[in-house]
Amino acid sequence: MHDDDIKHPQAAAEFLQDRPHARWHDSAVWWVRKKRDAQAEKLPEWEQLRALADQIKAHTLSRLDEYLAEFANKAKSNGVTVHFAQDAQEHNTIVHGILAAAHVKKLVKSKSMLTEECGLNPYLEARGIEVIDTDLGERIVQLRHERPSHIVMPAIHLKKEQIGELFEKEMGTEHGNSDPTYLTHAARANLREHFLTADAGMTGVNFAIAETGGVVVCTNEGNADLGVSLPPIHISSMGIEKIIPKMEHLGIFTRLLARSAIGSPITTYTSHFHQARQGGEMHIVIVDNGRSAILGSSEFRKSLQCIRCGACMNTCPVYRRSSGMSYSYIIPGPIGSTLGPSRDIKKHASMAFACTTCGSCSNVCPVKINLHEQLVGQRAKAFDANAVPRLKKWAIQTAGFMMKHPALFDFAGKVQRTIIPIVPEALLKNSAWHKYGRATPDMPKDSFKDIMRKRVQGDKK
Amino acid sequence: MSSREQILNTIRANRPAPVELPDIHAPVFVHYDDPHQQFSTLVETLGGCAVYVNEGQSVLDAVKAHWPDAGQGRIVNLLEGNNAGQSHTELQAQSQSPHDHQNVDIAIVAGQLAVAENASVWVSNANLDCRSLYFLCQRLVMVVPRERMVHTMRDAYAQIKIEERGFGSFIAGSSRTADIEQSLVMGAHGAMAALVVFV
Ligand code: SF4
Repeated sequence: MHDDDIKHPQAAAEFLQDRPHARWHDSAVWWVRKKRDAQAEKLPEWEQLRALADQIKAHTLSRLDEYLAEFANKAKSNGVTVHFAQDAQEHNTIVHGILAAAHVKKLVKSKSMLTEECGLNPYLEARGIEVIDTDLGERIVQLRHERPSHIVMPAIHLKKEQIGELFEKEMGTEHGNSDPTYLTHAARANLREHFLTADAGMTGVNFAIAETGGVVVCTNEGNADLGVSLPPIHISSMGIEKIIPKMEHLGIFTRLLARSAIGSPITTYTSHFHQARQGGEMHIVIVDNGRSAILGSSEFRKSLQCIRCGACMNTCPVYRRSSGMSYSYIIPGPIGSTLGPSRDIKKHASMAFACTTCGSCSNVCPVKINLHEQLVGQRAKAFDANAVPRLKKWAIQTAGFMMKHPALFDFAGKVQRTIIPIVPEALLKNSAWHKYGRATPDMPKDSFKDIMRKRVQGDKK
Repeated sequence: MSSREQILNTIRANRPAPVELPDIHAPVFVHYDDPHQQFSTLVETLGGCAVYVNEGQSVLDAVKAHWPDAGQGRIVNLLEGNNAGQSHTELQAQSQSPHDHQNVDIAIVAGQLAVAENASVWVSNANLDCRSLYFLCQRLVMVVPRERMVHTMRDAYAQIKIEERGFGSFIAGSSRTADIEQSLVMGAHGAMAALVVFV
């Protein structure tokens, strides 16, 4: 459903065509970032929590094979069937195998970026299984045949009027009624029918505990819980990086997740599944799909610490002004911009450049991933892999050359300061400045270097 | 080679240098002067409410005092003993499948622990054959002994045993969503309202 051919600058420019909508998106997402700040400030130990979370995750990655084996063995002894999948294809085959064996016709799913990553929905639908996404935002984008534009708020790019129209068409809600409460309760009634008639339920995983062999799923809506406690079959899919060593470590992560994600002290439901419901069966599918390769890269492995809170996208000035739809990888924003290029630099190179290197993402990340540094690293990779557009490559090379030759750089600056003021405006029409409706700035008399030199001398006097 | 072995082998080959596991109990975490006050105030913003039963009052009385219309719909009461207000556990008598909770208006369940920092309650009921009750009922009542209050999630995990029951959940307030233009709406898929009764 998502398009690997997306190039961020073009897609972002398209999004920005509708200025009022883009402005609204920016402020809606920023509002969530501010709620996160308010929550963080309420806990004096916030920075200690981040440091602990970072250390626990780094430790886990350094012994990931042991913890995964411990988890799988423990889960098995709890009566859970554990499957390992090397890639998306194997994951989908396993899930389909479980469903087909039980003649499942309808599957209710709670939000899971991993199943999006694997393209599970179209795979199952092509094999005659009806798949119902049950998280409200996810259901909205499913009905629109879109992908989620945010990992925590899948429909953040849509206005309520768009959702009202969609629900009118799909669920027969009142014409012109786009009241969020009305629409939410209409979806509640509609989805309840699906919960009650589904043959199997599927969830993602927020945390998997090696010590106890169980998984933790966090939602505000309770859709994951309903989805797996009604039908007899429960499937949870998780990436290999979801492991934490011990149950007690949840006392750190469950404090960080919802606060970072949506500015709430906790999600309504933080559910711990260790066994199937009575009379049912439970399966856990553990998926690699490129993760173990990222583990081998000292530069990018820290990206595997991600707990998918979405805080980095909420704070990102580029994400807020371009929306998740502008990124080619299924996970957008800063974390997606390092994960995507780690998988396939040619396809996702443009994502690495969707960044101002302001570092705000790294500052909010609850597990302290050095996101902005990783993005610089991904740019270098894109450059080496020849995945950068010709003009951009040429500009970067030129800039690099100039930086290495200070005399030339000074000279070029001088030329620019002299020439630009006397060039007729008309000639600058197509420059980077004018294209976006900006006036050419006034050129300063002196270079930055001169200004600083004078200032330093002035200080000495 | 199985996928399990293949994945574990790749991880082994790509393993980073060892990193120590930190001691999560070393730092001092937030401590509330009045954790009950903190809990009660917070739970309201999460679409819930906290009440305390008085001497001689049963849980059912407290529920009826809070929701005067209680009793018109089906109530399932999982509490045992004196606090139940009624002696039967309807669940055992009536439910054949988890879907049978569909028309439950109010579910009254035991909560083992309350957490001040986020107004959540740990539920993991040994008598509960069907966990769907927690999520299918329209209104959820969680009954917690007043002294079972902890400050933070770290304290909470030190006290609970997950494996005992195969399932357990921290529930904070009512089911909610903000997926439509960030407007907070109570009552997504789970209970539309939540009441915590401290006994
Ligand atoms: S990278 Fe950090 S901030 Fe971004 S989603 Fe992952 S955990 Fe959250």
